[in-house]
Amino acid sequence: MKKFLTVLMTLALIPMLCFAQLDDGKKARAAKFALTNAKIYTVTNGVIENGTIVINNGIIEAVGANVSIPADAEVFDYEGREIYPGMIDSGTQLGLNEISSIAEARDFREFGDVTPQMQALTAVNPNAVAIPVTRVSGVTTALTVPSGGILPGTAATINLFGYTPDQMSAGSKGVVMSFPNNRRGRRQSQEQADKAKERNLKTMNETWDKAELYAKIQGSDDARYYPEMEALAEVVNGEMLLYIEVNGAEDILSAIEWVQDRGYEKVVFTGVQEGWRVADQLAESGISVITGPVQSIPTRRSDAYDAAYANPGIMQQAGVTVALRTNDTENSRNLPYHAGFAAAHGMGREEALKAITINAATVMGIEDQIGSIEVGKKANLFVSTGDPFETSTVILDVFIDGYLIPMTSRQLELYDEFLDRTPGLNKTKTITDG
Amino acid sequence: MKGLTMKKINLTIILCFFVATFVQAQVEKGDVLIKNATVITITNGTLENTDVLIRDGKISKIDQNIKTPRGVEEVDATGKFVMPGIIDAHSHIAGSSINEGTSQVTSEVSMEDVVNPLDVAIYRALAGGVTSIHLMHGSANVIGGQNETLKLRYGSTNPDDLRFEGAPRTIKFALGENPTRGGRARGIQPQSRMGVEAMLRNSFSEAVIYKEKWDAYRADRSNRKVAPEYSLRMETLVDILEGEILVHCHSYRADEIYMLMKVFADFGIEKLTFQHANEAYKVAPELAEFGASASVFSDWWAYKLEVYYSTAYNAAILTKNGVNTSINSDSGELIRHLFHEAAKTQKYGNLSDDEALALITLNPAKQLGIDDRVGSIETGKDGDIAIFDVHPLSTYAIPLMTFIDGVKYFDKETDVKDQRIYIDPESPIAEVHIFDAEDQHRCMEGADIVHFSDLFNDSEE
Amino acid sequence: MKLQLRKSIFRLVLLLPILFHSIGVNAQSDPTGKSAATQTYAITNATIVQAPGKVMEAGTIVIKNGLISTVGKNVTIPDDAEVIDGTDMFVYPGFIDGMSYTAAKRPEPMARPDNLFTPNPPNDYAGITPEHTVISQVDIGEKSISAMRKLGFTISHTVPYGRMLPGSGALLLLSDKDHADKLILAEDASMYTQFTGAPGSYPGNTLGIMAKWRTLYRNATYTKQHAEMYAKDPAGLERPTQDRVLGAFYPVIAKEKSVFYRTPSALHARRAMRMQNDLGFNLVLGNLEESWDLADAIKQHDAKVFMSINLPKEPKDSDDEEKTEEVAQLEARRMDFYNMYLTQYAGLNDAGIKFGFSSMGTSASKLKNNLKLIIDNGLSEEDALAALTIDAAELLGIDDITGTLDVGKLGNAVITTGPYFEKKSQVKYVFVDGDKYEYETKEPKKDGEAEEEISEEGMAQILGSWSFVFTTPQGEQTGKMIFENEGDEVIGILQNDDGTPDQDMNNISFVNGSLSFDFSFDGGGQSIEVVVVGDVTGTDFDGEASIAVFNVSFPLTATKDSPE
Repeated sequence: MKKFLTVLMTLALIPMLCFAQLDDGKKARAAKFALTNAKIYTVTNGVIENGTIVINNGIIEAVGANVSIPADAEVFDYEGREIYPGMIDSGTQLGLNEISSIAEARDFREFGDVTPQMQALTAVNPNAVAIPVTRVSGVTTALTVPSGGILPGTAATINLFGYTPDQMSAGSKGVVMSFPNNRRGRRQSQEQADKAKERNLKTMNETWDKAELYAKIQGSDDARYYPEMEALAEVVNGEMLLYIEVNGAEDILSAIEWVQDRGYEKVVFTGVQEGWRVADQLAESGISVITGPVQSIPTRRSDAYDAAYANPGIMQQAGVTVALRTNDTENSRNLPYHAGFAAAHGMGREEALKAITINAATVMGIEDQIGSIEVGKKANLFVSTGDPFETSTVILDVFIDGYLIPMTSRQLELYDEFLDRTPGLNKTKTITDG
Repeated sequence: MKGLTMKKINLTIILCFFVATFVQAQVEKGDVLIKNATVITITNGTLENTDVLIRDGKISKIDQNIKTPRGVEEVDATGKFVMPGIIDAHSHIAGSSINEGTSQVTSEVSMEDVVNPLDVAIYRALAGGVTSIHLMHGSANVIGGQNETLKLRYGSTNPDDLRFEGAPRTIKFALGENPTRGGRARGIQPQSRMGVEAMLRNSFSEAVIYKEKWDAYRADRSNRKVAPEYSLRMETLVDILEGEILVHCHSYRADEIYMLMKVFADFGIEKLTFQHANEAYKVAPELAEFGASASVFSDWWAYKLEVYYSTAYNAAILTKNGVNTSINSDSGELIRHLFHEAAKTQKYGNLSDDEALALITLNPAKQLGIDDRVGSIETGKDGDIAIFDVHPLSTYAIPLMTFIDGVKYFDKETDVKDQRIYIDPESPIAEVHIFDAEDQHRCMEGADIVHFSDLFNDSEE
Repeated sequence: MKLQLRKSIFRLVLLLPILFHSIGVNAQSDPTGKSAATQTYAITNATIVQAPGKVMEAGTIVIKNGLISTVGKNVTIPDDAEVIDGTDMFVYPGFIDGMSYTAAKRPEPMARPDNLFTPNPPNDYAGITPEHTVISQVDIGEKSISAMRKLGFTISHTVPYGRMLPGSGALLLLSDKDHADKLILAEDASMYTQFTGAPGSYPGNTLGIMAKWRTLYRNATYTKQHAEMYAKDPAGLERPTQDRVLGAFYPVIAKEKSVFYRTPSALHARRAMRMQNDLGFNLVLGNLEESWDLADAIKQHDAKVFMSINLPKEPKDSDDEEKTEEVAQLEARRMDFYNMYLTQYAGLNDAGIKFGFSSMGTSASKLKNNLKLIIDNGLSEEDALAALTIDAAELLGIDDITGTLDVGKLGNAVITTGPYFEKKSQVKYVFVDGDKYEYETKEPKKDGEAEEEISEEGMAQILGSWSFVFTTPQGEQTGKMIFENEGDEVIGILQNDDGTPDQDMNNISFVNGSLSFDFSFDGGGQSIEVVVVGDVTGTDFDGEASIAVFNVSFPLTATKDSPE
């Protein structure tokens, strides 16, 4: 039986190898799966040649070179294949932004400067067209982030499979804050930008002063219901992550000081495009960083052409915990290539892989659940023909929460329909004889 | 020289207009011998342990163990990969203005007037192995301005030094959301794809009448004849009708792509490349039959409605249907890694190495009418070369050197950070701009991120 | 290739004696008592710089009826002359401004037309009015006339405000007359053009402007042929329609008139030369600010040049002792570029390119200081003087009537208390067209002491709070000017009563009763610099606030608040 299945699976693989073709199955399946004979990049425990992974109930039950395959498991022979933990994109608008030019199709921005109680998870559209497009590329998890004012809302980490936001939640959230800066917007003078920064710094500090007071009196009879402060009090109390978007070198230093003054503990810096300028100070602060996009132009006209490519590596080598993001939505699928660029420009392949797996999970506080291939963790992983950072590599299978995901997306369906269109030219008159 | 825009007008008029001698910019030509490389020729396979000799700006020999001629600099490329300089068929770097969007037909304007050689983005593109770009007018109007093909000879302050001497003239057209959005914003036509077609047909019909008037004037033997009104706008449209200008049309949807082919068939215009063309894959057989080309993104989609039904397999479907296809950047960011964008066609459609690399070399060269000069490593072609540390289709590839006409314009070894040519003494030392992908794909393109005044303001002043 | 002004100027010169004769005949009474009693002046025992490098010590110059009648050592002074003792004084030829808006009044902003979105919007909105002349914008009440004259400028090539093709420029005498016509030295002296688009309409930017220019020029080439043919023999020929826009190009096509292109940046200049190359007109690059890479191109295109006197602000390097190597390097490069702006004048001169100056965009209060900086950076005083006088005259084609202190030329002269470019020298007299203008000069406090060294007592006079009134056509703005000591420095703030944010004053100077400072405000995304200059008398300040970018100035007066 087992052998028969293996043969069957091998046959099924043939078309996939050619074109990352459509799987016949359009529905996800969960079962007890045994993934065998693969080279397994556990990320946290090295590489296992000819290893096996057993998935049961959505969890990795066993990993290793000498794992016995349960008799009731559906076996996949991945000989010559590589298995990696699902990639985590630490900054996207997946599910919140369907078509960015159309206001009705954007849900990542609420009215107001201080709206930390706005929940990204609420607005995630599980059926967003970009979600299957992303996950068939091996990205299984994403931080989806609201943006806009000083405190635009609460970001959520989602697994890219599920039919309700709750099914998708990966169990981590964080309040988002944009650290005030004086970068000029379009049609803004430097004076205006300087004033905007001052105004925003004032609003930010007054808001957090209030939040700290609110955290103290919360629950007492006199405390009024103040949803904005409810959300911030969780940060003050150390129950909730605070993602601070900060990019300029001077701003990063100010933000470090601000965090230290406030004494907030669960803080992550995001963006951090000029982190390389202040890498040592960042390392010393112990604050983790989500940076990206790596494929990005330098922040200053006077900077080296590859400043953005080199940024993650410089921070990582200084001792900063670095996770990567695409800061994209529809092209979150390019996460491995951002990592590849970081790898080539000083970070090295191993660290770059960590930056989109275990480091991302660690930064979000869910490193006990995802980010590596370890027993007891969620079965978020993918099977590839080789190095996922290379574009010639084909992603063969993706598992999210233990589900075998159908390897299809609208982009693949269109490919299938139009590669050899029927009818071709012949149904109608040709255009030149009109 | 492309600057002379009036080929057909009779000699007296040419003399009358061009009394001044045109001063052809003297561009530097170099000599170099690249030794012992893996040479990806594009047209003649990949040659191991091969030398490429460039003399006076041209590839003079491709062989093993070429003896170094006296006085020629040698570059040891052992273990390195050499490919033709990358060509970006859609770029907006190095332009002081992009859109003259104040009128729906502006065929008289030309990007050759607004080349900005001081743009640091040029150097950053060189550092991505790019040697030539197609500096395009924006897409705000149905018939936009003429484009300019450039070689990225960074370092000169003279715009003329960057011109791709001898490249054919090209012009930008635009269909779909962008020109109709302009129409809606101003309460004029076109506000629909119907109106776009009508505007195209009207414009060319007018041009036919204009040409008839001028033909009659020229045929008139009388020495007391009176010239019809001269219009540079109409002159340009006539040049398009006569096949002297290649049309590059901003387009997304299959229906509008098909529409333009029908219009062009009716007016007998043949040289046509669709830019972006996210839905070109849907009419790939029609494109192939017409002989039209497509210059597409590797994977951009979903930023507006007309690119919602895109697929990253576009380039592969087009290539396999026999359509000459290129991959472009339309971005000061993407242009720095077009080799990587081309590599994505191996993920999306399994193209061969040569097919993938042709998308950013020979194919765009054909679309710009410069394939007799660049786009492959062949004897007699220009010495426009990029050298990579590993195979350029690898994500880990880093361009090491970039040559144009045999002159080295980028060398990673000796790269200097601050590449600004002019510095405003009143500028602050630390002026930080944070990259926003939104601004990249959309700045000239689309949607409501664009401020109305972008349609006519200069960017530099 | 000279400007084709010769012919008209020549005719004008012939007319001059007649004009002056008629003044004598039609003399009128003047109850103000301010009119001159004579039209003859003799400046005696002065150092006369007749032309750059041609200096006469202890000479006498006689200006009679608007012309220089005598220059020499042993000169018989005419009986009717008012004699000015020129001992210790220097006499220079009157300065010439090669391109400016001096004496022109900016027209009211044009309303957006209804048919903004046509491919051919109304010509006046599109800025295509080459048939207009600056004379219609000349306002004898413009303060720029007296401000420039006070610096020694006697002739301005003034161009009209507008957009792409605002109209023709004129050569104006910067004299104090009761009618604009009396300022005109030559009308229709140039076709003025610039890369300024019509807001929201075609042509909107450089792209459309250059294409439209070519279209107009080429069309004019055809209509000119037609018009000439018709003029010769109309029989049987279609009557040409009158098109004043195209008509304005005819003298340009015939090279009887030059095109003055406003080209502040090097790229602007390249584009102007590109147009010249395509169309073949005579080109003058006006108000050029970045010339250091252009010498070869300027020669190739046989372009004439009027350099801007506007200079960037000197960059301030960070005084942070721990600044990084990177910052130090970037600062050094920025300083290099600042120096390029300063040294480019000497560079052009070394390249053998003759140039004049253009005051456009430079506030009068900074002009002399900028000239000084240019000289400190390599341009010899002689060459600077040439650029202000004879070279400008030659470039404008008026060197036969002005530019030097030679007999028979216009009575335009500047008389100073010392060598002009010395900081402490002051302008005492300016002669324009034979008319004398006298200025108050102040004795330097102590011999040899630089003037701008502000004595403690001097500065103390302004410390404190002043109530100011700033009068603009939009109404009055009031507020406080506050000057305080901060360490060794005096700092100043402007507080506005209308609630707009305070502005810091920069470059505060108080010398010999003259107070000046500048400040910037935010004009919708653009930082706009305002320069305030005026005199303090007791507790009153009477000054003028000028905005160089708009070329406007408005009165600003203040009274010192009494201490409480």
